[in-house]
Amino acid sequence: MKIFPPHLRLPRAFAAVTLAVAVLLSAPASAQKSSDDAKSFIQDLAQQAITTVANRNLSDKDRTDNFRRLFVASFDLPQISQFVLGRYWKNATPEQQQDFIKQFQELQVLNWTQRFKDYKGENLAVTSATKDERGFTVDSQLNHPPAQPLPVQWKIHQGDDGKLLVTDIVVEGVSMAITQRSDYGAMLQGNGGKIDALVNALRTRNDQMRAANGG
Amino acid sequence: MFICVGILLHSPHCNKMLPDAAGFSPRAMLAKGLNRFLMTHLTPGKFASVIGLAVLLLLAGCATPPPADDPDAVAEFEQMNDPLEPMNRTIFDFNDWLDRNALKPAALAYRAVTPEFVREGIANAIANLKSPMMFLSDLLQGNVTRGGVTLSRFVINSTVGVAGLWDPATKMGLPGHYSDMGEAFALWGVDEQFYLVLPLFGPSNPRDAIGLGIESTLDPLSYYMNDNHLRWASWARFLVTGLSQREAYIETLDDVKRTSLDYYSAMRSLYRQRRESQIQDARTGDWAPAQP
Repeated sequence: MKIFPPHLRLPRAFAAVTLAVAVLLSAPASAQKSSDDAKSFIQDLAQQAITTVANRNLSDKDRTDNFRRLFVASFDLPQISQFVLGRYWKNATPEQQQDFIKQFQELQVLNWTQRFKDYKGENLAVTSATKDERGFTVDSQLNHPPAQPLPVQWKIHQGDDGKLLVTDIVVEGVSMAITQRSDYGAMLQGNGGKIDALVNALRTRNDQMRAANGG
Repeated sequence: MFICVGILLHSPHCNKMLPDAAGFSPRAMLAKGLNRFLMTHLTPGKFASVIGLAVLLLLAGCATPPPADDPDAVAEFEQMNDPLEPMNRTIFDFNDWLDRNALKPAALAYRAVTPEFVREGIANAIANLKSPMMFLSDLLQGNVTRGGVTLSRFVINSTVGVAGLWDPATKMGLPGHYSDMGEAFALWGVDEQFYLVLPLFGPSNPRDAIGLGIESTLDPLSYYMNDNHLRWASWARFLVTGLSQREAYIETLDDVKRTSLDYYSAMRSLYRQRRESQIQDARTGDWAPAQP
């Protein structure tokens, strides 16, 4: 650049390099994740589920606790809850929102723990991962011979701290989040949008499931 | 059911405006066809009972749209596209009652008395028997490659696979696909119109219900069986198909029932997504025979 006189160019180059190094060093510890990271994330998740939840030797309490830990760490529950409540989320108080997240989480934990109890050696084979505008889509197949493998798609995004989190599971084209949103939306519409009624219904359902699982 | 649909198409009572698909009007098509049907088959006695039924259904069957000053609710109502919800819920409850008291117990018994490989064989045979009809659907969709695969599968599985009990065709690089008349209509551009629950057959919509009706009359296998005085075989096939499919979905439906707060809405959403996924597969799938 003609602006800088020749005797200032070397220091300028040095300053530029220093600046570049400083930027690199101060970059957030969580780098941008890649499709391969997304694939490993799901593979890891499946492996952990098999060893810490599907294990037949576990007590019911351990199984439930292990699943809850895995679930909360790997799924973006606040995000999913907000999606599932749809247009009713913004009308809910923060307390109602937290109540909903808690009961919604427990419903998934109770249901999935019960299903893992019937584990018969199924395994998840991750086939591919693609980047999309919100994060990643990981394609996998649930192998449960002799039936045909079940196509399962995982929607993942990077949370605020850079960790990968699941936001939806799509089985044979059916999204769990969309189905639950329709379900709860119909229920809320039927009783004038009262979030408390929904949270109470979830609480009752959770109690019923706890009783059924324990009995 | 179709008479009710026909009358509803003519009446402005249900506020939902039925959308016209791009290119041509399925509503006009349905209306014309049903008009013709009614003109040729209606006697005064039948007419009176149809009017009575129609009045009953019109009064009871239509959903009340939310007030216009709540745009979010109105948008949700439109998106849900279920103007016959009260009637649908009644039929859905009836189907569920039938399922709890007859179909699911029968499916559980079927599972208890048959070993896994027998159930698999029966499922293969049932899928094979549907091949002639699926072949027609493939051709109607303009998918000659897929039709060729379906035809090859039928020939191979019926001979080498011993009446379809085994599925050697898949190992030869000819995997099975699903196809039906309703799918063909969807690919032509006919929308679902609205949600409809059929007695016994469950979640559907006018387009798919008409497809189902046409299939039952057009099925090449039915012609063969009726011509050869094998009508009982048609009924046996119908029952075994129902049993086999219900057995495959025992855990899935139990799961939906257990975790859903409104089973009807959950099933409506589930069915629609699944159906859309099937139609997308037909639209974009790669149907060239795979390398074995």
